Amino acid sequence: MPRVSFEHITKTYGHLTVLDDLNLAIEDGDFLVLLGPSGCGKTTLLNLLAGLLDVTDGRIVIGDRDVTDLDPKDRGLAMVFQSYALYPTKTVRGNLKFGLVSSKLPADEIERRVAWAAKLLQIEPLLDRKPAQLSGGQRQRVAIGRALVKNVGVFLFDEPLSNLDAKLRTEMRMEIKRLHDELNHTVVYVTHDQIEAMTMATKIAVMNAGVIQQFGTPDEIYERPANLFVAGFIGSPAMNLRKAKLSLANGRTEAIFGSGIRLDVSDYDFSARPEDGAEIIAGLRPEHFGTPDGSVEGAAGVFNVPVQYAERTGPDASAYFRFEDELLALRIDPAIASALAPGQAVSVGFLRGKANLFDARTGQRM
Amino acid sequence: MALRWSRLSPQLALTPALAVTAVAFVGAIGWTIYLSFTRSRRLPEYTIDWSEWGRQYSRLFRDDAWMISLRNLITLGLGSALAIVFGFVLAAMIDKEKRGESLFRTVFLYPLAVSLIVTGAAWRWMFNPDMGIENFLHQIGLTGLNFSWLAHADTAMYGIILASVWQSSGFYMALMLAGLKSINSEIWSAAKLDGVPLWRLYIEIVIPMMKFTFITCAILLSLGVIKAYDVIVAMTNGGPGQSTYVPAYFTIQALSSSGNLGYASAAAVMMLVITAVVFLPLVLLTAWQQRRRAEAVK
Amino acid sequence: MSELTVAQRAAGAEIAIDRAPYFPRRKKMITGRSIAVLVFLSICALFFAVPLYVVVVTSFKTMAQIREGAIFAPPSMWTLEAWDYAWNQACSGINCNGLKVGFWNSVAILFPSLVLSIALSMVTGYALALWNVRWAGPFLFLLFICAFVPFQIIMFPLISMTSTLKVYGSIWGVALVHSVLSMPVLTLIFRNYYKDVPQEILSAAIMDSGSFWRIFFEIIVPMSGNILIVILILQITSVWNDYLIGVTFGGFNAQPMTVNLANLITISTGTVAYNQNMAAALLTAIPPLVIYFLVGKLFVQGITAGAIKG
Repeated sequence: MPRVSFEHITKTYGHLTVLDDLNLAIEDGDFLVLLGPSGCGKTTLLNLLAGLLDVTDGRIVIGDRDVTDLDPKDRGLAMVFQSYALYPTKTVRGNLKFGLVSSKLPADEIERRVAWAAKLLQIEPLLDRKPAQLSGGQRQRVAIGRALVKNVGVFLFDEPLSNLDAKLRTEMRMEIKRLHDELNHTVVYVTHDQIEAMTMATKIAVMNAGVIQQFGTPDEIYERPANLFVAGFIGSPAMNLRKAKLSLANGRTEAIFGSGIRLDVSDYDFSARPEDGAEIIAGLRPEHFGTPDGSVEGAAGVFNVPVQYAERTGPDASAYFRFEDELLALRIDPAIASALAPGQAVSVGFLRGKANLFDARTGQRM
Repeated sequence: MALRWSRLSPQLALTPALAVTAVAFVGAIGWTIYLSFTRSRRLPEYTIDWSEWGRQYSRLFRDDAWMISLRNLITLGLGSALAIVFGFVLAAMIDKEKRGESLFRTVFLYPLAVSLIVTGAAWRWMFNPDMGIENFLHQIGLTGLNFSWLAHADTAMYGIILASVWQSSGFYMALMLAGLKSINSEIWSAAKLDGVPLWRLYIEIVIPMMKFTFITCAILLSLGVIKAYDVIVAMTNGGPGQSTYVPAYFTIQALSSSGNLGYASAAAVMMLVITAVVFLPLVLLTAWQQRRRAEAVK
Repeated sequence: MSELTVAQRAAGAEIAIDRAPYFPRRKKMITGRSIAVLVFLSICALFFAVPLYVVVVTSFKTMAQIREGAIFAPPSMWTLEAWDYAWNQACSGINCNGLKVGFWNSVAILFPSLVLSIALSMVTGYALALWNVRWAGPFLFLLFICAFVPFQIIMFPLISMTSTLKVYGSIWGVALVHSVLSMPVLTLIFRNYYKDVPQEILSAAIMDSGSFWRIFFEIIVPMSGNILIVILILQITSVWNDYLIGVTFGGFNAQPMTVNLANLITISTGTVAYNQNMAAALLTAIPPLVIYFLVGKLFVQGITAGAIKG
């Protein structure tokens, strides 16, 4: 199973530059998710890898082959599309076989592979049906099967779950994850859904405006976002990002908010020596707060704030507090949420060692 | 970038069409334009007498038959425009009164399936002065009526217009029906609720909404009129005299009967010019529509 | 007994009141306006139908009855004489072998025209719609213009070219010119149809096979059923009904049926046998009319697509 690397990739359409000198390498067997808002260039990057688009500059290497100028079918890839792109006039079997017949495989090998993929995906009873006679989930399985039978090292997925309903989406997510665990292919998976990214990926590349904002494991992305974009993009409710000033006094490092609330960040792992009085942006995840009006013992800072509203989202709940003319989101126990009345002032502590600090000028992690 | 077979094969597949376009259309048009400046008679002659390169054109505009052709072209165009009006009325009625829709549509459209030579043959027969419809009218006592239009130079064009309208109204009806069907059905309900009378709805809302359909019809009609040939051959053969000459007929006569290649070429070039004049608004309209659509998307 | 029924009735009445009141609707009456519209439409239908009626009855009459002048009267004696004459003996120029000559010529012209024009425009439309060809845009625009060019401007060069190719005056020459002249419009129709094939299906096929022709034959052609039938009907009727190309390129030996018909009805010598003329007209009109009455909807789709896209 090969590694895939993009080297100095540039893609322009006329005067419009979509990707500019992009570099990215993923290891053999990685499940890479390209994550970002629509228009960030992630699908372009995938199509460049597939060979459906031509790079303007740079090269793409799969394994030890430079595939930049190869035809899509010669790159050793298989792809699953958002709309599944099943051939409407062919049966499921015909769809699976279409890509194999041209590769001059012996007929029994083709049959063997089709049977294997059909068994793996539990689509054996559907083999003689046409795509129009299949449900959305079944079509999805056939699309994956069509990729599997090609027996290649690299799989590409282009938002494959976005046309499914919520329940099927969860099911297929697990299915794709299971297939990756079993077969250990290298996968490049494009999505704008951070839950898909967090649950399936071994590596995530967060993209915005044609630039890779951060590349790392899901944990790294979530725990240590590299900049304000990643911090704000990952997590729901989103991370609270508030302006503050650094203060280095009495051997402590503190972030002081406009309203005077202090947050102790002495234990923060700064990448460079912090300066006193530096303008920063503090990122506080909603789930890193203590229980409202609960014990604030050992908290890094305590916020006394009025409740704006609370909402329950199934198994858990979010509460929003008014803080410096903006909303502060907290994830709380649903049992407490119903007890919070709008306007009621509560004090909540923020856990020690959980804050993310960003340079207010550059937006980069400190 | 390296040459790839997958990029090459679609271009190879396009070469026959490209060759056909280049030779049979672009090349042929250029050839005819060139010939129109020569003195070619029965056989092409490729020297241009530069002192008098426009001789075929100046001859053309001194030729009565050509001037008649142009006048008839305008008459035929204006007269055939009735087919658009008629087509719209039929479409509006069929669209509102659903009863018998498919029967009426079938009847109104069948003339389109038939060759214009057949159409011409049928109307030529009905216009027959001795045994045709005029005879029938006289027999039932309407002796004042005259229906032998094709026999007289001043009415022959009207006969051709009548046959053209008969033949093409169904076509415009079909286009208009498609236009009417694309109008949001809620407009009719809204008008009903507001108590707007139907005729006002048509004049103030429906027809303005269908202006592109109307323009399309008008352009198609103009192009059809420029090409009108078969129906003339079948009904009058240009006669009586030269009273039903049109440019298409004139050009072919100049080539096949008079054997005057240079002259026919000049007439053909003039036909192309007329087509371009009609065609230009269509191109501009399409471009404008596309830009509007692109803006609407933004 | 009466008490009981009263009680029952009362109960029944109460139940009836509990339900929503029921107002029987009168059957919808036809309105005055509808009648007026239907009458108007019927008169129009008569205008369209009368010529066909006249042609049909005339073709079954004897010349003797036609000379009496009652054009709308049904034949006093139905006879197939005129039909037989038109089919077997009618003169076209100096040949007096009837319209059957032209009929078989038309049939012979039809098949190569269909195959050539559809094959050429289908492949061209497919390549232009689904493959990234850099010059596709300008080429489409050129085709769009070619679709409107009057025949006369390319008439002499085409005669010259077909003579050079030694096909002038033959079935093949006429078929070739038909294919060339219909190529722009048919290509535009095919291209617009294939434009709606989802791009992802083509991407999938490119990744699976990458072969232009294999994708065409295995994926695209099977998806083209509807448009093929529409184009087939459009092309059959337009080739069959054509006069100008047939008369220009058919010479003496490859004249289609419309040319025979035109020669017959424009004959200027002798008495005009209108019953034969009408029988000949009907013989020429029957094939497209049969298609029209069988699959009229597809026919209409074809001509409107040809007009709007073209």
